[in-house]
Amino acid sequence: MSKPSGLVQGTLDLLLLKILALEPLHGWAISQRLKSVSGEVLQVSEGSLYPALHKLEQEGWITAEWKQTENNRRAKFYSLTNIGRKQLESEAANWERLSAAISMVVQLSEA
Amino acid sequence: MRWKHWRFMVPLRLRSILRGWRVEQELDEELQFHLESKIEEGLARGLSPEEARRRAMRAMDGLEQRKEEARDMRRIHWLTDFLDDSKYALRGLRHAPGFTAFVVVTLALGIGMNSAIFSLVDGIILRPMPVPDHDHVVSLVSTSRDYAFDNFSYREYLDLVERSKTFEGLEASTDMQGIAFSGQPDAAPRVKGGVLVSSNFFGVLHVEPRIGRGFRADEDRVPGRDAVVVLGPAFWRQDFAGDPSVVGRHILLNGLDFTVIGVAPEAFTGTGIYDHPDFYVPLAMMARLIPDPKINFFEDRDDRELSVRGRLKPGVTVAQAREEVAVLARNLEREYPKFNKGRGASAYSEFELRMKKDEGDASVGMVLGVLALAVLLVACTNVAGLLLSRARTRSREIAVRLAIGAGRFRLIRLLLTESLILASLGGIAGIAIGYGGVRFIGQYKIPSELPMALTIQMDRRVLLFSLAATMLSALLCGLAPALQTTRLNLVNGLKSADVDVPGRKRPWGRSVLVVAQVSTSLMLLTTAYLTVRGFERLWSEHVTFAREHLLMASFDPRLVRYNEARTQQFYTNLVERVRSEPGVENATVSANYPMQEGGFDYVQFVPTGFPMPKDRESFGAIGDTVDDNYFQTLKLPLLRGRGFRSTDTSNSPRVAVVNEHFASHYWPGLDVLGKHISVVDGKEKRSDVEIVGVAPTMKYQWIAEPPTDFLYLPRAQRPVSQMTLMFRSSGDPAQLAGMLRDAVRKLDPNQPMFNVRTYEDYYRNREVEAPRMIIDLVSAMGLVGLALAIAGLYGLIAYNVNRRTREIGIRMAIGAGRWEVLRMVMKQGMVLVGIGTVLGIAMGLAAEQLLNKMFATSRVDLVAYAVVVPLLLLVTMLAAYVPARRASRIEPTRALRYE
Repeated sequence: MSKPSGLVQGTLDLLLLKILALEPLHGWAISQRLKSVSGEVLQVSEGSLYPALHKLEQEGWITAEWKQTENNRRAKFYSLTNIGRKQLESEAANWERLSAAISMVVQLSEA
Repeated sequence: MRWKHWRFMVPLRLRSILRGWRVEQELDEELQFHLESKIEEGLARGLSPEEARRRAMRAMDGLEQRKEEARDMRRIHWLTDFLDDSKYALRGLRHAPGFTAFVVVTLALGIGMNSAIFSLVDGIILRPMPVPDHDHVVSLVSTSRDYAFDNFSYREYLDLVERSKTFEGLEASTDMQGIAFSGQPDAAPRVKGGVLVSSNFFGVLHVEPRIGRGFRADEDRVPGRDAVVVLGPAFWRQDFAGDPSVVGRHILLNGLDFTVIGVAPEAFTGTGIYDHPDFYVPLAMMARLIPDPKINFFEDRDDRELSVRGRLKPGVTVAQAREEVAVLARNLEREYPKFNKGRGASAYSEFELRMKKDEGDASVGMVLGVLALAVLLVACTNVAGLLLSRARTRSREIAVRLAIGAGRFRLIRLLLTESLILASLGGIAGIAIGYGGVRFIGQYKIPSELPMALTIQMDRRVLLFSLAATMLSALLCGLAPALQTTRLNLVNGLKSADVDVPGRKRPWGRSVLVVAQVSTSLMLLTTAYLTVRGFERLWSEHVTFAREHLLMASFDPRLVRYNEARTQQFYTNLVERVRSEPGVENATVSANYPMQEGGFDYVQFVPTGFPMPKDRESFGAIGDTVDDNYFQTLKLPLLRGRGFRSTDTSNSPRVAVVNEHFASHYWPGLDVLGKHISVVDGKEKRSDVEIVGVAPTMKYQWIAEPPTDFLYLPRAQRPVSQMTLMFRSSGDPAQLAGMLRDAVRKLDPNQPMFNVRTYEDYYRNREVEAPRMIIDLVSAMGLVGLALAIAGLYGLIAYNVNRRTREIGIRMAIGAGRWEVLRMVMKQGMVLVGIGTVLGIAMGLAAEQLLNKMFATSRVDLVAYAVVVPLLLLVTMLAAYVPARRASRIEPTRALRYE
């Protein structure tokens, strides 16, 4: 799988889970949301979005449902499951620890 | 994948597999939606439709690749791949029907043999006790110098219950007893198998009666008060027609009125592997049900009649329980030195106990199990060899696949799929063969009137085992060829259909397989030969008596509440009456009959004047109580001295006849006549007994038992209540059964009589048919092993001849004669056979150790090798000769044009 550029490996899962925790969305909306909330910093290759979503679905963390969009087209909406929510919590906690550790290291090297 | 996720995973995966087209469609639609949205976004930014479309496609990095990735994410490719592989393999196999049939038959023989043998081993050793959580149930045994698996007395049991802390509960039960049963007061009693149990028996075993209830604690407290009975499932079905309203009915057991309170569940056939009791009554009924004036079951600390089992508390191991029980036994030894000196205790799981206590069964099971596995091994090596040659003719195809980028692992999987399919077909056919074997073994019936059975059936356990054997064979026969074939040199592989290049080392795989086959089948043949010879030696050599023209019948007048005097008078009258009948030559009664399975008296004694070892007070030997006609009726001549006489009465000096083994054991080289032993007759009582005769050493319980001490005591001086009448007729004894019935009816119409059959019939059943079955099974395995080894060797030589056709042609063109070619090809085969033979002899010697355990000897039978090795050499030489001869007939001109 081609890796999303500039993203730490594994963080894509976290981002997707977090976005879907707010509200159920379809793939296109997810890619738009990713760009806008990260202030265009996180550019996820649109192609790699779907394999990632399917993986999360197979893990049982998200579930999918075909629904009408606001402009009346059929799209596959993803939403977070209960175990997905737990997964999000643990991954978020991991991320906090990791980023805190990294920023400490970074500050050390500057001092 | 975490287990708790499975309830999500399984449906998702299943959906991906079963509704593949639907998932595909959704994937298409989803990506299409994304693409369209992207294009719309481009249009909104003012791009031309073409440009917007181009950019959108580029942002997606190609749709198809994305789809593939998404599919991978669904992780189903291993399954779709497997299905593809299966289709491919099946197509290939359809094109090679001869090969497929041969492989399937070979594997079916291997797997079928194993299923059948497993069903037997399961039936005699492995099958767990049919109670819930059986692995928490352990058996307690009392150990003494003479016997490591003794029972406990009632008092000892109560002490264990009170003092032990590692058990949730301890239950006690007697062995199965013959008990007279009648459903109505006026019906003639029949002998059934009953067990006396402690009130918590069902509770400790976690067995819930299917109808009614089990015993209440208070029903086991007051001796003789609560005449209640729980029926066994089979007895309930057969004798009560499965009537659910049976609870509350009254039945007679040994003439006493009992109330039925429950029926045990269908699955609970009893705690033993052979005994399936008809009913269960409380231990407290012991003295009333089976009165014996000589013992007090409830008080005598040395009346050890109870098997004790306990259910471990959660978290307690068998080892901890064993330790505790040993400590408790040491305490008992201190408190009651008179009864418990030198006596310990131990605890075993049911399986351990069967392996240790029933050594005969365990060794039969081991021998058969090892042989069956050997047959499977030979079958698998055979198939592996075939697959190897097959795969090598496919080496070009495989080289192509590798060259265009197939991964090696992927190819190994493809080849393994083929062997899995072959093994599955073989497994299915094998279960059919196994079923035949199960039917064959299941014919054997234990000769007993009590409900004892060897349960051999094609059940879930056997099927599971067959499945495991199938999987194992798939791996065994598929892995080596798959590994070797995929390790190709690509360049060579692509160049020719056969990759053997001059100078390249030949693969040794097939040679190893042939060596393994030859050695294993030699081992199988040796074992078969040794088994046949072993039993034949026992049949012909063991001292016996005139078995023909004997009819036997067993009695226990206690069942109709006779006292001791009346019992003995009954036997005297019975013998006299039967002897006076026309056609009867002689008659005798004895406590046991020869070759009776168990039940022999264990007599403890001190040989007078014999220097006793410091740490023991007495010796023990099995013995029989017989009357004064015994040796004459059986036509068993004594070696020295005399048999019993009518002058040996309860008032005259006590006498005994011992066997030769006994005599030379305690008085080696001396005349044993006139020597004395002091027999322990229960508490405190010793009786001085003079040895007046010496009988030959026979087999007493089982044809393959080791020679053992044995002594006979006269009925007048050691009365017993259960005895067997044997009488000798001048004609066919079976025709005198009616006479016997009449004679007994005249003495007492209510007297139950059981085990009525000719002795020859009993002997055949127990001492001929059981060994015969073992012989048949072992011989079948030996022959199958040999046939497979022949096929394997033939296949290898034929294959090599085929492969070397061109080389042979060249040799012959430059002057090699037919004889030299023949020799060259034969030599290759015979070297392998030679190595295999040497290994096989070593394996045979190892197997002989196991067999000797079964036959209780320690001899090495070199004749076996002198017979089996030449046979094997001859047969394998033939197997190599046929293709070698073909090689020598090769026409050089044609061979050179070959390919």
